Amino acid sequence: MSWYVVRRLAISFLVLLGISALVFFLLHVVSDDPGRVVLGQRASPQAVADFNREHGFDRPLVVQYLGYLDQLAHGDLGRSYKLNENVGTVLRQNAGRSAMLSLAGLILALLIAVPLGILQAVRRNSLVDRAATAASYVLYATPSFLLGLILIAVFSQSLPFFPAEASQSHSAWVVLTDPRAMALPVITLAVTSVAIFSQYQRSSALDQLGQDYIRVARAKGLPERSVLTRHLLRNACLPLITLVGTLIPSLLAGNLIVESLFNYPGLGLLFLNSLQHEDYPVLLAYTLIGGALTVAGNFVADIAVAAADSRIELNK
Amino acid sequence: MESHIVRASDGFENAREPVDGSRVLTIRDLSVEIRRGDRIVHPVSGVGLALDRGETLGIVGETGSGKSMTGLAVMGMLPDGGRVTGGSIDFGGTELVGLPPDRYRALRGNDIAMVFQDSMTALNPTRRVGEQVAEPVRLHQGASKRAARARAAELLDLVGIPKPLERLDDHPHQLSGGMRQRVMIAMALACEPRVVIADEPTTALDVSIQAEILDLLDDLRSRLGMSMILITHDMGVIARHADRVGVMYAGRVAETGPTPALFSHTRHRYTHALLSSIPSLTQDRREQLFSIPGTPPDLSASPAGCPFAPRCAAATDRCHEERPPLSVEEDGHTHTCWHPVATAAGRTCSGASAVARPAVSPETPAVRGTTPRLRVVDLRLEYPVGGRGLLGRRRTVKAVSGVSFDVAPGETFGLVGESGCGKSSLGRMLVALNRPTSGEVVFDGASVTGMSARELAPRRSQLQMMFQDSNSSLDPRMRVGAILREPLAIQGIGTRSARTARARELLGDVGLPSGVLERYPHELSGGQRQRVGLARALALDPKVLVADEPVSALDVSIRSQILNLMLRVQRERELSSVVISHDLAVVRYLADRVGVMYLGRLMETGTTEEVYGSTAHPYTAGLLAAVPEADPAAPRPRSGTRVRGELPSPIDPPSGCRFRTRCPLATEVCAATEPALVTLTGTHKAACHHPLRLPAAQPEELSAR
Amino acid sequence: MTSRHTDTARALEAGATVPSAADPAEPTDVRERFTPKTVLRALRRHPLGLVGGLLLILVVAFCFLGPLLYRTNQTDVDLVNAALPPSTEHPLGTDLNGFDVLGRLMAGGRVSLQIGLLAAVFATTIGTVYGAVAGLAGGIVDGFLMRVVDTLLSVPFLFFVLILSVRFHANAVSLSLVIGGFSWLVSARLVRGEVLTLRVREFVLAARVMGASRPRLILTHLIPNALSVIIVVITFQVADAILVVAALGFLGFGLTYPTADWGSQLANGATFISADYWWLVYPVGICVIVTVLGLNLLADAFRDALGHRAG
Repeated sequence: MSWYVVRRLAISFLVLLGISALVFFLLHVVSDDPGRVVLGQRASPQAVADFNREHGFDRPLVVQYLGYLDQLAHGDLGRSYKLNENVGTVLRQNAGRSAMLSLAGLILALLIAVPLGILQAVRRNSLVDRAATAASYVLYATPSFLLGLILIAVFSQSLPFFPAEASQSHSAWVVLTDPRAMALPVITLAVTSVAIFSQYQRSSALDQLGQDYIRVARAKGLPERSVLTRHLLRNACLPLITLVGTLIPSLLAGNLIVESLFNYPGLGLLFLNSLQHEDYPVLLAYTLIGGALTVAGNFVADIAVAAADSRIELNK
Repeated sequence: MESHIVRASDGFENAREPVDGSRVLTIRDLSVEIRRGDRIVHPVSGVGLALDRGETLGIVGETGSGKSMTGLAVMGMLPDGGRVTGGSIDFGGTELVGLPPDRYRALRGNDIAMVFQDSMTALNPTRRVGEQVAEPVRLHQGASKRAARARAAELLDLVGIPKPLERLDDHPHQLSGGMRQRVMIAMALACEPRVVIADEPTTALDVSIQAEILDLLDDLRSRLGMSMILITHDMGVIARHADRVGVMYAGRVAETGPTPALFSHTRHRYTHALLSSIPSLTQDRREQLFSIPGTPPDLSASPAGCPFAPRCAAATDRCHEERPPLSVEEDGHTHTCWHPVATAAGRTCSGASAVARPAVSPETPAVRGTTPRLRVVDLRLEYPVGGRGLLGRRRTVKAVSGVSFDVAPGETFGLVGESGCGKSSLGRMLVALNRPTSGEVVFDGASVTGMSARELAPRRSQLQMMFQDSNSSLDPRMRVGAILREPLAIQGIGTRSARTARARELLGDVGLPSGVLERYPHELSGGQRQRVGLARALALDPKVLVADEPVSALDVSIRSQILNLMLRVQRERELSSVVISHDLAVVRYLADRVGVMYLGRLMETGTTEEVYGSTAHPYTAGLLAAVPEADPAAPRPRSGTRVRGELPSPIDPPSGCRFRTRCPLATEVCAATEPALVTLTGTHKAACHHPLRLPAAQPEELSAR
Repeated sequence: MTSRHTDTARALEAGATVPSAADPAEPTDVRERFTPKTVLRALRRHPLGLVGGLLLILVVAFCFLGPLLYRTNQTDVDLVNAALPPSTEHPLGTDLNGFDVLGRLMAGGRVSLQIGLLAAVFATTIGTVYGAVAGLAGGIVDGFLMRVVDTLLSVPFLFFVLILSVRFHANAVSLSLVIGGFSWLVSARLVRGEVLTLRVREFVLAARVMGASRPRLILTHLIPNALSVIIVVITFQVADAILVVAALGFLGFGLTYPTADWGSQLANGATFISADYWWLVYPVGICVIVTVLGLNLLADAFRDALGHRAG
């Protein structure tokens, strides 16, 4: 097992390195003249050149990249052009709220999707299964912002249950402390995921239900409920763990849209604001962090699957 | 022999009087249907069988005969869409058909248990072996976690798993196939059921392991006083392990009876034909196998007459129109056949189509003395496995470790061995699909091994291969015509129309109508596809044909068709062939000379008569002893010659003789030095320090222990 | 991409050792050819796929044939008649620039479908070539190429697209290229997997034994057999691309006026959802949903019918 972890760590590290190179390259493409962006259109060419030299933007790309890596290694994500603050600090202020929103959405989605998917598999082709499948197809085809808008129209305007805007509180725990204000954003995030997860869980459970060990469990005389909880559940959830790991980029993208929709001051909104100001260091830092989160998510998912399924180790 | 006729609906179970209430299970007129989409099939139609205390009832049949479905019906575990449409299953006074689910569950795993075929998928991969074995104990006997665990250890010990306490916390993938099957059995026996249903319990296992598992089941059955239903396609397993037999065909019982009577006085035409078409280890090799024409029937249609009639040589109009009634003879031997086989005449010479082999019998040394067409010289294949750890050394599998043999023109060389012995890797190297690590393959005097792809291309036509799985060896997107034209197109032979003509001719050669040219592979049956596979291999008129497990994927009744076809083709075309198989009888039937492989090395080689008749290597002897003959009268080999234990890893083979870890004759010298392949007589060679047959000219000290 | 609705048939096969009738050895994983006949049969067996196909035909007819029957002025802004509710003259009302919404839907649909198709074809072409190269080369080359894919898959691609769109203004073609440029990864993985399994299939070995050259193997065996995977992937990717364009539009980085795709129409209308301008939101929303739904249903039916587990 430990060798497996080491191997996966090594691969994750390589992928991270690749992402950093990509992000750096992108930075260079979109902002090849940082001095001009920072100092503005009216600055003299000389001042711009001085600025660039001073900050090392005139060095060869490779050298700049190595410098960038060195910065990253020291936890320095650069300096925001507009906010004139350390990017790390800016991100940190918003990270907690985004994390809570994402986690709440993810957990809610899993809590609904896992039992639903298994129920669908067990009652294959029943009314419940067909209805849930149909709903999944429609929800998956619905752009998430439209879904959010419809939820707002229904639950905030027609039936004023929840506020249309998310809580503006600066506490990350707002999800727990002010559930009414967070209900719509969390539900919007969760619904799209449920559509994906439940169908995935359904087909994974169907796969497992066809396996002989399920028949063996029944042949032992186990009640159907025990067959499902003791034998099916764990095996059927393994693929979903991997899926969640690989879907992190989409989850982050979902966050972006939901935060914008409900005006929730998290990383997504920060990203969108920075887009308007062309504040590249912030944009790229968040992109890099998104990549790192994905890598970490994949790593954790792989380790979790390996821990749950001891076959993995040998296959490697 | 007198027989009286009873109505079929009375069922077979009435044919025998229950002996003082010892009847455990009675199946009467059982019918099952399965609805899949808009199609309904009837896998079981009016089956009647009975099981007495302490006996083993064998249910034998080919794929689709309904044997497994009968077992599942008894367990109350029919697949989705399946239901019992009629009949009854009486389990010691309890009617199982229509039993409420709760009561059924209380029986399952407690009074009736089941052993499944593939232990790899039948054990939950993510749960520990101990928990899985203990589960029924906790469920049915309400044992505490600790008591159940102790019971699990006891059970693992009972089924012969060494160090059971340590194995409890293993996961299934950490055990070998044979060990997993033992765990399956332990699970089934956990609550000491009255009836165990074993559904193809050994089909996924090697023959030496199969023998051990079946003996274990026999032993446990008699020790624990259980009854067993043994479901299998293998007549040999039935002959050796069943007390009584039910032969199923197309969802119906064709014939039942005590095992010796059924084999010696076979009555039903199907049973008779089936037994005649199985190659055996003792039959006269000059005689051609009987083969049953056609394919098993469609189970969604319910024929009016005898289901076997369309394939039966003795069928008359009556057979097609009227269902044969049940005939009961003494001993409870029953059958449903209008024209039962009359006497106990020998099976092999009875079939109408049993044609004698061509005059050139394999042992005629006509082919000897000429230069070999194919020479294999010290062939080795090693390949790395798994990822190298960051620092760890890379492990290599030694798949083939120094194998040499010759094949003369017109000769068939058989390579036999268990799974993982390297025979398939070897086969692929022969046709230059894989490059050997060292050694060479010499074809007609030129080394194929060293050739570049360009040099090799034109020679490819001379070296062809026939594959095991005809389903995967034919491109699903091509029509049969295109498949047969492909080799000609690749080699640039002929015009398109000439190729088509050739394809038609080839189809004729393998006994298929030319209409097949327009069909896609999935529209053909398994046997037809295998014929196409052979035709394709012959398209380029090769001199050498390598056939890798040519019939293992086929049902018994189809198998003999293909075997006879191959035999004919080999003779007609003066082919040099290499037949690779795990099935000793298949190799014996097809090959002139045989090589026995174990862990990448040739253990024994010689003419078929030598290897099978005066076996020299203990491994060969062990394999032969493990193969169950389809003849209950065949003497059971002494258990001392059996191969025991597990196959060692080819990554790290044992020192000295590779077989020594499983050899009953092994001594210290076997661990110290690797025995060379020594000539015993003329063509017979064995690599053994203690050969069972002494070298003719060698002094005796070689075999002294 | 998810594996929705896939494995009913497979699970049935595995769970039920139902003796198949005509041929006992009937393989359960026959991969069928992709011909008009099999497609039709697939659709018959999967009524949902048929529904999907009909929805798509409807949408395409609406967008491309609709303007022939229902002519509207989509070039001149008419602020006097802006944001009118549905009437006999404007069945779906007018938008904020005074364009007829029904006509606008047709025009926007053409753009959306074109972007979706272009992006999907672009992505699948790159992905197929890349995946095939990796799968065929094997060894170190394969390892390297796949690590590159891993890396790119770990990048939140919406972020990348957004950043690029700040600097470079999007038009239909560039947007397709950018979306395609990021979504080829999935098809690369699938095609590679397909090639890896095909490569060791016995019919490929058989062709090698006959002396088939590498190009021949690829052209006559690998590509035709991988084609069904590719078609399934393309269908899914058209749907995904349409959704991505919509999301970009909503975030304000989609196509700019005067080009109008469904995404930007939806985004423009979305702001007014609470102000009772329902005709600016729901018709276009339904169009997007119906199109994506149709594509996904169709792709799933193909996948089921062809015995594939793509995605």
